[in-house]
Amino acid sequence: MRRLFYYFKIWWMMNIKYILPALSHNWTFLVFLIGKIIRFLFFGGFIYFLLNGTKTLAGYDFNQAILFYLTFFLIDTTSQFLFREVYRFRSYIISGSFDLILIKPISPLFRVLMGGADAIDLITLPPLIYLIFHFGSLLDPTILHSTFYILLVVNGLLLSTAFHITVLALGIITLEIDHTVMIFRDLQSLARFPIDIYKQPLQGILTYVLPIGLMMTIPAKALMGLINLTGVLASFGFGILALFISLKFWNFALKKYTSASG
Amino acid sequence: MKKYLQIFKISFAQEFAYKVNFIMWRVRNVVQILLAYFLWSAVFEDPQITIFGYDQSKILTYIFAVILIRSLVFSARSVDVPQEISEGSFSNYLIRPVEYFRYWFTRDLSSKALNFAFSLLEFAILVIIFKPPLFFQENLLFLTLFLLTILIANYLIFVIRFIVTSITFWVAELGWGGQFLIMVIITEFLSGSIFPLDIFPELWQKVFYLTPFPYLLFFPLQIYLGKIPLNLAMNGILISLFWCLTLSFVLKNVWQKGLKIYEAVGR
Repeated sequence: MRRLFYYFKIWWMMNIKYILPALSHNWTFLVFLIGKIIRFLFFGGFIYFLLNGTKTLAGYDFNQAILFYLTFFLIDTTSQFLFREVYRFRSYIISGSFDLILIKPISPLFRVLMGGADAIDLITLPPLIYLIFHFGSLLDPTILHSTFYILLVVNGLLLSTAFHITVLALGIITLEIDHTVMIFRDLQSLARFPIDIYKQPLQGILTYVLPIGLMMTIPAKALMGLINLTGVLASFGFGILALFISLKFWNFALKKYTSASG
Repeated sequence: MKKYLQIFKISFAQEFAYKVNFIMWRVRNVVQILLAYFLWSAVFEDPQITIFGYDQSKILTYIFAVILIRSLVFSARSVDVPQEISEGSFSNYLIRPVEYFRYWFTRDLSSKALNFAFSLLEFAILVIIFKPPLFFQENLLFLTLFLLTILIANYLIFVIRFIVTSITFWVAELGWGGQFLIMVIITEFLSGSIFPLDIFPELWQKVFYLTPFPYLLFFPLQIYLGKIPLNLAMNGILISLFWCLTLSFVLKNVWQKGLKIYEAVGR
């Protein structure tokens, strides 16, 4: 517990205490924030007008479709907020400055995974959570289904963590980060809509191979009462297993680091 | 002319210097098209229905044509210019015996040529895999107008991009931010490259048509699909030409003012 508090304090000092006030006066910060809000509204508007014309999408009505979209946005935005540092990892490896991270008295994985939170995403989270609460309550979920939803969103974040750790490990071995992340994000964007709209074998791949469905579609389905306890437990089992494998892979990759550029 | 032909050749060769970059960029394009394809396939599960004025073959033609038109219109090397201005390496061009805009237009053309060649291959592969029912325009007049609008779109996006780039002269740190907001978010959405604009209410569409963005992709595709009558097509072409002239004038003035305050920071 003391160790957890220690890391939370480091995270707070690295990310929130100093960066947020500095960024709030920055033009770039404002432009990116506006860009993200416009993108969110455009896609939201698209779903609204599309469902106005078609009434249903793969059997889901507007409120359900928008919940899938909001859940996608919640997990994506939270991941971006927490793991933005991953996008900078390549420069540490190429320049050799990763050596300086390795000698610090904190976990190097923690530093390169969570050392640079994105303040823009932090600002967009509260209104997003409000919208999920609003549209979620329109579906009249039970307390049990709401609990499943929260648990499965946490599981989605576990899977996202596992993915980002895997990318870091791959980065050490191959020196390639940017495209791996962006291609994953493009694939992840397939979950803006329920993965039921995709035909097999793509639907199976998105559920079990690249577990985008487990990350983003399953939580929303749970709130709609479409997932039972077994499904929740199986999803969690998959999430924990993915995290375990990614940590093993990170440790393996770390041993391959040669500090060649340092 | 010979000089620019050489620039075209060198720029084309340079594209191959970053092979992984290029291949990954194309992979990302295909993934985005797949998202649109599966989404609209789900909407048009029943091939007999017509929604937003599209039947199954027209919407799938729209989605697949986006691959080709995006590569022709949106591909550009001049995305690097804001960084050159903010780093000061822009100064190198000021002493070279080349006309700056022609230089970048030529480099953009080389990027478009390469991307178009690859997008044709991707198009063919996707058509073989998914066998979508495609719509082929047979009216020669509409095909001619379609090609004309593609030419206009190429000029228009070049001018828009450089106007956005000009911001860097005043606020160096907004080089990428401006591109992200205007070129990535607003242009991509309002050009219809993410989804067709006719899903929006009519009034919204009328407003969109007054902006230059639909003329980059949506309008050419509407002409190809024969979704707008000839008089409206001509009207749209006139509006897009109006935007070409107006934005060229804006660019000329903004760029001149930008050059006067450029201080080659970083050099």
